[in-house]
Amino acid sequence: MAASVVTAARGWSGLLVGVRSAVLRLPGLTQVRWSRYGPEYQDPQIDKEYYRKPLTELTEEEKYERELRKTQVIKAAPATRTSSVFEDPVISKFTNMMMKGGNKILARSLMTQTLEAVKRKQFEKYHAASAEEQATIECNPYTIFHQALKNCEPVIGLVSILKGGHFYQVPVPLAERRRRFLAMKWMITECREKKHRRMLMPEKLSQELLEAFHNRGPVIKRKHDTHKMAEANRALAHYRWW
Amino acid sequence: MATRKKKLTPPLPEAGHSSAGIMLKGMTRLISRVHKLDPGRFLHIGTQAPQCLAAHLDNQVAIESPRAISRTSENDPAKHGEQHEGQHYNISFQDLKTVFPHGLPPRFVMQVKTFNEACLMVRRPALELLHYLKNTNFAHPAVRYVFYFCSPKFKRSHLWVKNCRDLLQSTYNKQRFDQPLEASTWLKNFKTANEHFLSQIKVQEKYVWNKRESTEKGSPLGEVVEQGIMRVRNATDAAGIVLKELKRQSSLGIFRLLVAVDGVNALWGRTTLKREDKSPIAPEELAFIYNLRKMVKNDWQGGAIVLTVSQTGSLFKPRKAYLPQELLGKEGFDALDPFIPILVSNYNPKEFESCIHYYLENNWLQHEKAHTEEGKKELLFLSNRNPGQLERLCAYL
Repeated sequence: MAASVVTAARGWSGLLVGVRSAVLRLPGLTQVRWSRYGPEYQDPQIDKEYYRKPLTELTEEEKYERELRKTQVIKAAPATRTSSVFEDPVISKFTNMMMKGGNKILARSLMTQTLEAVKRKQFEKYHAASAEEQATIECNPYTIFHQALKNCEPVIGLVSILKGGHFYQVPVPLAERRRRFLAMKWMITECREKKHRRMLMPEKLSQELLEAFHNRGPVIKRKHDTHKMAEANRALAHYRWW
Repeated sequence: MATRKKKLTPPLPEAGHSSAGIMLKGMTRLISRVHKLDPGRFLHIGTQAPQCLAAHLDNQVAIESPRAISRTSENDPAKHGEQHEGQHYNISFQDLKTVFPHGLPPRFVMQVKTFNEACLMVRRPALELLHYLKNTNFAHPAVRYVFYFCSPKFKRSHLWVKNCRDLLQSTYNKQRFDQPLEASTWLKNFKTANEHFLSQIKVQEKYVWNKRESTEKGSPLGEVVEQGIMRVRNATDAAGIVLKELKRQSSLGIFRLLVAVDGVNALWGRTTLKREDKSPIAPEELAFIYNLRKMVKNDWQGGAIVLTVSQTGSLFKPRKAYLPQELLGKEGFDALDPFIPILVSNYNPKEFESCIHYYLENNWLQHEKAHTEEGKKELLFLSNRNPGQLERLCAYL
């Protein structure tokens, strides 16, 4: 949802300047999440390299921007964002989605164990492979993770639309972030539900990530099923009005 | 001239034996490797109360090049000197299996499996210990060296005094309890580590196991070990006999005995084991612990005792305690009293560089930012130069 600022939260000033109107794309849904920040608040600049550039190297625009930022109000940086070189927004998002009951420590440790498991499995394969194959084996757990999630993203999605008293599954184009969300959601659900009781999450997740990286496995299958359903319900596409 | 040496822990440098003390990363165990290069072999009895920590070996640096390369080709721990500090040296898999059949930290075992090689870093405390061992006077009572380090990281369950599944009333002494499973495992490992010695040492007393079986005086120690492995009920007693014989005979000078115990603070603490009526058991009532305590008393000659105290295996002690006195408690400290404490600190910058270099050589650090200066500075900060933490960080990067 687009984070739109509701003026009611800041008291009616009578001015509607700065209200970002959200496009309500889905019928019957109202804006429930908004941020306390007004539109004049700028996002924080966390990148260390931005501040390390010496003044002489800046272009005119950048100098102007820096001066401007000195006068503007800036939002507080969230606790999850760090200036570490090893930070990855996709990994952070995935960790948050895996988290249950606010237990970020556990979620993060599961994530790191998964990455380690992926790495060890790939190393094993690497040492066992011949020289030509070694060039094709990818050992970096981060590239595997990103590629696997990209492979799991559906191109087209289905949405329930109420028409004439019945709900129809209508094929609909998905936004970039919705696709990423669905890929991560399917991955996590698959790993939570379809594993043996005694198998641990990192092990299962590393297995699924490696399979998705090679474009096989249950999550890819689910993506293909979604595509097939969308193809089958092609005729209902005109029920969509946006 | 083949003097046999029994080494429980760090090998004695006698007769050119080289053993390397390996400082385990972050963990508490000093494991010495017996290097089978020279005549005379070592009997390796490793007892570990807590898990031993994986030693992180860094490769040696070639002396000619100014930049510290992390590997060294000097694989003989006895020959390690000042110039090898911070470098990794390789241990062959054969040696690893014989010298450390048990008791390697699980993370080290995983690392060995992943890299297909076992490498350890030569660190200053190890060099110090080697120096002491080289200059030991074997006519004096055995000297005790205690390793301790700050900021231990891993939680390891104490092998002997915690989570023991079966306790039997001792066959030898009714007041004490046996631990058949652990004792038989220990005996098996002892056998693997010290095969060639077992036939050469003879027992000096007759031991009667039960109505039908007994070990005569003068039969080789191997028989006692076999008896313990076969008859699991008597395993703890067999282990006790082995220790007693070794101690008695090492004073005669036939071989040198090196006793290495990891997590010796477990021998004097409390246990989590209970009797059937839920009353707690003190360590002295466990027969194996009782025998081990007799081993580390320095009333015998002809060897050395190397111990480590670790917070991770210790029960009922505050988390920040790392000094020997705190971890051993009053009783333990009095029992071990004249000992040489050796502090194992975190990596110094050279060792840290060496460690990172080793990982880079093995392609272990896969994250592209880890290769940069920024990444290294961050690793330094996050791990606080602690070897265990560094290993854990690099595992997922």
